[in-house]
Amino acid sequence: MPGAEAKRAVEQQEARLAWGLVVPAVGTILLVALFPLLWTAWESVHLHNLQMPWLGRPFIGLANYLEALRDPRFWGALGHTAFFAVTSVGLELFLGLFLALAMNRAFRGRGLVRAAILIPWAIPTVVSALLWRFLFEGQSGVVNAVLVRGGVLREPLVWFIEASTAWVPVILSDVWKTTPFVALLLLAGLQNIDASLYEAARIDGASAWRQFRFVTLPLLRPAILVALIFRTLDAFRVFDLIYALTGGGPGSSTEPIALYTFNALLQNLRFGYGSALSVIVFGITFGLALIYIKLMGAELTGARR
Amino acid sequence: MNGRRWWPVAVLAVLVAASAFPFYWAIVSSFTPEHRLFQAPSLIPRDFVLDHYRALFTQRSFWVPIRNSLIVAGSTTALCVALGAFCAYALARLEFPGRTLLLGAVLAVGMFPQISVVSPLYLMLRQLHLINTYPGLVLPYLTFAMPLTVWLLVGFFRQLPAELEEAAMVDGASRLRAFREVIIPLAVPGLATTAILTFVYSWNEFLFALSFTLGPERQTVPVAIALFRGQYQVPWGQILAAAIVATAPVTLLVLAFQRRIVQGLTAGAVKG
Amino acid sequence: MLGNRPLVGNFRASQRLRSPGQTAILLLLLQIGCSGSPKGGPVTVTLPTSMLGAEAVVLRQQLARFMAEHPGIRVIQRETPDAADQKHQLYVQWLNARASEPDILQLDVIWTAEFAAAGWILPLDRFRPDTAAFFPSTITADRWRDTLFAIPWFVDVGMLYWRTDLVRAAPTSFVDLTREAASARRQHGLRYGLVWQGARYEGLVTTFLEYLGGFGGRILDRGRVVVSSPEGLQALMEMRRQIYEEGVVPTSALTWHEEECRFAFQNGEAVFMRNWPYAYGLMQDSASSKVAGRFAVAPMPASSGGSRTAALGGSQLAINRNTEHPEAAWAVVDYLTRPAQMLERARVVGQFPPRAALYDNPKLAAVLPIPPAEARLVIEHAVPRPVTPVYTQLSEILQIYLHRALTGQMQPAAALAAAQTDMQRLLNSVGLGTGAAVARR
Repeated sequence: MPGAEAKRAVEQQEARLAWGLVVPAVGTILLVALFPLLWTAWESVHLHNLQMPWLGRPFIGLANYLEALRDPRFWGALGHTAFFAVTSVGLELFLGLFLALAMNRAFRGRGLVRAAILIPWAIPTVVSALLWRFLFEGQSGVVNAVLVRGGVLREPLVWFIEASTAWVPVILSDVWKTTPFVALLLLAGLQNIDASLYEAARIDGASAWRQFRFVTLPLLRPAILVALIFRTLDAFRVFDLIYALTGGGPGSSTEPIALYTFNALLQNLRFGYGSALSVIVFGITFGLALIYIKLMGAELTGARR
Repeated sequence: MNGRRWWPVAVLAVLVAASAFPFYWAIVSSFTPEHRLFQAPSLIPRDFVLDHYRALFTQRSFWVPIRNSLIVAGSTTALCVALGAFCAYALARLEFPGRTLLLGAVLAVGMFPQISVVSPLYLMLRQLHLINTYPGLVLPYLTFAMPLTVWLLVGFFRQLPAELEEAAMVDGASRLRAFREVIIPLAVPGLATTAILTFVYSWNEFLFALSFTLGPERQTVPVAIALFRGQYQVPWGQILAAAIVATAPVTLLVLAFQRRIVQGLTAGAVKG
Repeated sequence: MLGNRPLVGNFRASQRLRSPGQTAILLLLLQIGCSGSPKGGPVTVTLPTSMLGAEAVVLRQQLARFMAEHPGIRVIQRETPDAADQKHQLYVQWLNARASEPDILQLDVIWTAEFAAAGWILPLDRFRPDTAAFFPSTITADRWRDTLFAIPWFVDVGMLYWRTDLVRAAPTSFVDLTREAASARRQHGLRYGLVWQGARYEGLVTTFLEYLGGFGGRILDRGRVVVSSPEGLQALMEMRRQIYEEGVVPTSALTWHEEECRFAFQNGEAVFMRNWPYAYGLMQDSASSKVAGRFAVAPMPASSGGSRTAALGGSQLAINRNTEHPEAAWAVVDYLTRPAQMLERARVVGQFPPRAALYDNPKLAAVLPIPPAEARLVIEHAVPRPVTPVYTQLSEILQIYLHRALTGQMQPAAALAAAQTDMQRLLNSVGLGTGAAVARR
């Protein structure tokens, strides 16, 4: 039938146009993202030290991966990364929710607050890292001065000499910088909740806390999940913050996996080993993303019921 | 009723003060002479000197990293918005096989950990003699900037009513022309937001800039600040002054366009 | 601001986006063009240096004279950090990226083999330098696989500083050293008997090297790690004994670098100090030093089974393999390493020249803060650290175990054995080891 044929012709023309529009961008992405990733995987099964050309570039199968699994510094780096992710994301979620609730209910100053908290989000991470390093630096940095004068500490602490205390400025810096993002996400989610639901709950005699538990939280779950996905993936890839704040130190006790990989690649020039680490990092990121997508999917299908 | 509402404002006030304090302290310290930086800090500054700012531009030629950042972030943004707009339009408004897969793939690439592509990019750039050059930064930046741009623009294009192009095409215009003359003008706000966000992310990027530049001639602002090195001590006065100078433009951008930025950040996310 | 445009009719925006591909290419081309290097004019050679202090001044003067003699060559100094590890990282970054600049490199003595084996620096034999004029140990450190890769610029050696007003003569054996340190300390009420660099860094290895040589031991023997030997154990235990049993070396020395040791000695708190020559000139300044004119130097002592050893340090000049002007670069290197220039550096900065004949020159006697005979004696006892491309990694392993043994976390014998095993495994894994590793645990 002519109608159907004409329709198919239009569809084909549209598809051709679509591909024409899409190819430049997608082609670039393939070139600078997908192709390098495949190359990384290929490198990871070779021995390749840029500083030792006499060793050549022999194929060594999974030896790099086995070395990583046996490397205590690798496991340390993974542990640091997990600790950082859980702690900072947890704090950000909690504070972000608090902030979002406050912003949702406050009538005055919302615009000012939004502007004020966006600024930490907007500055380069290394700048925020250096600001926080300055606050905690030395014997008479501001934090030490305040804590000593306030009687919390008897004498100033050298924060960056011990791993346990070095994590404090790191976590605080990340929370300071990214809670705004979480808060804004959650605020948008809060604003999507129909006010009439609260009315109904209030009429039923629910207290503020019960309203929060049974109206707010369930309806906020999609936004919370989205915030969790973004923040967890970001926290897992942390590099700038720690490079500029502690350099991974003292020793390598605050070194996250991205920094360890960077050191292996561009300081020790062990491209084969570093590539294996890169693949592992990618794999874990991918795994986390899959988990979250499954959760999101369950969320969406659950919501539809 | 109003009595119960004071706590949100109080909470906000406290949080905003806590949020602003590091900046306040940095600004105050950037005007404090070096030898007083770590002595008995006081909330109200006692001195006011311009030494650090002067040193930034006389001793360290800090305008060079600023120029580099402007060129790299600007080029990345221009390229990504240009190419990404076409791609996003196709993904948002055209029906073709493989569309969902492609969108998913683009988003997935945006989630790549940067560290996972640093080594092959390095080898590629080295082969092409692009280490320590502007293209040698813009190209890697496309890794994260392009997916970001496409994702944001898909979101914006989707919000436009579906009948718009139909109306133009009924009048005899081709798809492409409808896109150029009808959709684009309407999407200008979305394009602007996308451009702003892409610019901010490109300006703040660190890992690639650190890995693919060799010296002050091509280093961007974040790298230059992170690598400030004194002979025997860390030059905190200059670092803080540089931090203020580096964040001033972004701050102004944010203050001017905060609504758009928030819209862009939350648009795709909450709608799911 | 941007939201109030008319909904239709503004076509300028759309025209801008007409051909994104062309725009992109144009932008890229513009940038490639802008980042090109200047062409024409005299050949330009870049040399990375520190820009501070007397050293920078004298270098600038020497280069100015060079440029006057060689109008076709321009030398630019590029500022680099002074700290060795930062400089090393910068060099690795540049050389690995195959940058053609800087043309000349100032290398720490332990980097030459590393950079040579990586193929980053130019073999210098083709320029036929007069290697016999330099101290043999300095040339050994600059050779890799029998090829010369760098020219010694100035020499640093670890020395024993001793208080001439508290001790009659410099001790020649470890026993004497410990005894005199303890007695002088008690007699004059000084805080420390002896100070050396014991923090967990390269300085610790240089100190250990001198004790090791003093007992007749070695770290590396042609691809085989031999540090876990009776001599090695004696050396390590001597260091421990000095801290814990004799009490002449403070435990805080285990966190000290060169400067902390210098301050201790300079403030009159120590009888003996192990340090590099740089401290000599600084401590002669009576304005800040309490010991000006009351100390001298000598090689570190030795026991009967070994010989007095000085760890070899110093700077060498090498040429970037990717340089576009090898002859011009060599001209600069050659000029800077001539006797006249070295004499000038000795006068202005107090650095020891690596040319043996200069030590018979009365002009050197006039400018060196140390009598040339004493200096020459120490330099002739100089022993380079193991000349291998993976020295930095080997040193890191050794530092960790030495420090653990010295802080009491590990028994010395176990520490040395573990160090040897790990170091040998590293050498074998990169194809540079020849011996079998010590029996696995």
